[in-house]
Amino acid sequence: MKKIIATATVLAIFGQHLWAFCGFYVSKAAGTLENKTSQVILVRDGNRTVITMYNDFTGNLKDFAMVVPVPVVLQKQDVKVVDNGIFQRLNDYSAPRLVEYYDNNPCAMREEYKYDSNAPMVKSMTTESVGLLAAGAAKRKVTIEAQYTVGEYDILILSAKESNGLKIWLDENGYKIPAGAEEVLDPYIKSNLKFFVVKVNMAEKQKSNNAFLRPLQIRFASPKFMLPIRLGMANANGDQDMLVYAFTKTGRVETTNYRTVNMPTDKNIPLFVQPNFARFYADAFQHTWAKEGKSAAFLEYAWDVSPANYVKCDPCVSNPPDYNDLVQAGVWWIKHDDYENYVNEFDGNKGKVFFTRLHIRYNRSSFPQDLSFQTTPNMEAFQARYIITHPATGSLTCDAGKAYLKDLKERRRKEMKMLALLTGKDVDEWQEDISAVKDEEDNAEAMYATLALAMPKEQEKTGIPAGLIVLGTVLVGGAGVMRWKGMI
Amino acid sequence: MQRQTLFFKDARYFQISFQCLLLAYGIFYLQWAAEWWLYAIYTGVSLGTQLAAELIRQRGWPEWHNMGWIKSALISALGLCLLLKTNHVYVAAGAAAVSILSKYLITFRGKHIFNPSALGIAAAVWITGEAWVSPGQWGSGIVLMLGVFCTGFIVVSRVQKLDVSLAFLGTFAGLLFLRQVVYLGWPADYFIQSVSTGSLLLFSFFMITDPKTTPNHPIARIVWAIIIAAVAFYCAAFKFMNATPIWALVAMQPLVPLFDRLFTAKKFQWHTQKQVLHSRY
Repeated sequence: MKKIIATATVLAIFGQHLWAFCGFYVSKAAGTLENKTSQVILVRDGNRTVITMYNDFTGNLKDFAMVVPVPVVLQKQDVKVVDNGIFQRLNDYSAPRLVEYYDNNPCAMREEYKYDSNAPMVKSMTTESVGLLAAGAAKRKVTIEAQYTVGEYDILILSAKESNGLKIWLDENGYKIPAGAEEVLDPYIKSNLKFFVVKVNMAEKQKSNNAFLRPLQIRFASPKFMLPIRLGMANANGDQDMLVYAFTKTGRVETTNYRTVNMPTDKNIPLFVQPNFARFYADAFQHTWAKEGKSAAFLEYAWDVSPANYVKCDPCVSNPPDYNDLVQAGVWWIKHDDYENYVNEFDGNKGKVFFTRLHIRYNRSSFPQDLSFQTTPNMEAFQARYIITHPATGSLTCDAGKAYLKDLKERRRKEMKMLALLTGKDVDEWQEDISAVKDEEDNAEAMYATLALAMPKEQEKTGIPAGLIVLGTVLVGGAGVMRWKGMI
Repeated sequence: MQRQTLFFKDARYFQISFQCLLLAYGIFYLQWAAEWWLYAIYTGVSLGTQLAAELIRQRGWPEWHNMGWIKSALISALGLCLLLKTNHVYVAAGAAAVSILSKYLITFRGKHIFNPSALGIAAAVWITGEAWVSPGQWGSGIVLMLGVFCTGFIVVSRVQKLDVSLAFLGTFAGLLFLRQVVYLGWPADYFIQSVSTGSLLLFSFFMITDPKTTPNHPIARIVWAIIIAAVAFYCAAFKFMNATPIWALVAMQPLVPLFDRLFTAKKFQWHTQKQVLHSRY
């Protein structure tokens, strides 16, 4: 009776504030720089890691500077700049999705098809230039382990003996360290981490034709599989978001020091959510995040994107990553042949690539530790998928039509309950969207607007959660039985 | 002092109850309900294997009034439920079978060498490569509270010995504290995040404590637990491995016969209804 017709992605969730990476920006202009959402590609196999950091810094390039703790000294060949579009493509491919179904008219069977998709976001940047200073390092017990220029970036790899020296060195060279960042410098130095310090080389920048700063990609071998978010917390107000796109040979990536929680998925939500799906998902994410105790990573997508796996998404909201995308992302084990030759379909070891998208919303109090990850052999596919269903159109006066209308009313009530459950907000909040839904006259009695009036208000949960009651009952019951049997 | 009832005599009742409590917490609060099939396989295969082994060993049906074999199999199965993840039926069944069979097949002087759950987990993770342990699966909120509750219950009820648990937990947490807070200079909540994980709690109170696979002599037991803690700490802090206590336990278990030889003591027997009560603790 139903048919998948069209899909739309959430692109606008992070809207205007896609700031870059999880290290920290240090600024010459006090207090103007902050990073709110970062995007990172992680590629991991064995001890080898490739990290790509999205850079959508939009301020004055003279002020751009980034500090990222890394486990080893990176040489020039370990660093490169990659195509900016890779992040957009991965985001499009893996974003939470809205799926549309159309009901058939039980009085007159017919089908309809419709496709739509969101236009990708376009960003623009300004260009300006400044060099990088590296002076007085020895005095501050800061060692410049390596120094080179890659693409439009001047890069220094620093190691330091003590945090104060590093802080003073950065200060002396014109970088303002945010107050909160200091507490993590010392543990990082003692953990033998190096500091990957990046500025824009204006001469190189002007030579290149790119209007934007390209993503930086670093590769290294280290048993540490982590992302240093603590340093990035320094200059952020409140919660920050991070999207991690991870590629492995074996299966899903999960956090080891925080829970990894699946987003609610395959839920039927009301039709009126469609024009504001991004808002719906932002609410649903916020609510789920709070409900799960804030201290967790959320799985939004997981799929086997190996060349041999023909179905790389279902439904696909954009093209799955192809050979070039994977190479850009840093998946080093994939070979062009693997990708082009479907003959090898059944050779399980040929170019296996598993994709995981994690969404992490963090703040200082809920995330005392940096993110540690592990790869698992879990190849189970997952997508954050929400379903809207268009009602049947045309006359519904036949008996089957009347029965259908009754079902439709019931279904729409459930959809609105689900909406409230997922977002933690009353259906009333969607008043404008509800009245914007143009139902046909024949559906009048099942109109959302009418049904919404009768919806119970979402109560703030105060009392004991149901689970706890069940748990308590089981325990007391168990104790009772044991008592009865004379065990206790 | 509480009544001298079977529940308090036989720590296995307490273990089963507490493991069930943790599993219920996982199912109701941590979205584990979808893995019901896994729990069914672990429990079913564990009980089945144990029954089959008992049938062979006793050449007939085991005595029903002595439920020891059921308790033992349940504890192993619950250990797997709480720690081991896999997407494959054969891996789950294999892990459960290995757990139980190891008790009958890998023995030394009438004492089995490996902790059944730990060996099942290690075999599934390292041999098949199709299973994994999720150290982060517990979150951290309620776990510390459960840990305190659990310790408190044991202290008050004296249901099982705490020497191994405390030696392990004290050493492991102590070394972590020294490393993270004292040496590296992380704030205290960094350390708390490290120790407030359900896996550590489970391991300390229900896995390493298994009296059948720990040295018999109290001093040997404590030394052995400290060694495991030190190895686990080293692998976690310097080799960046996950779930290290379990791997350290499995690796150190062959030392138990050696410790038993060096320190002679009476072999542990579970208390059953027929035994006298005053020999506890």
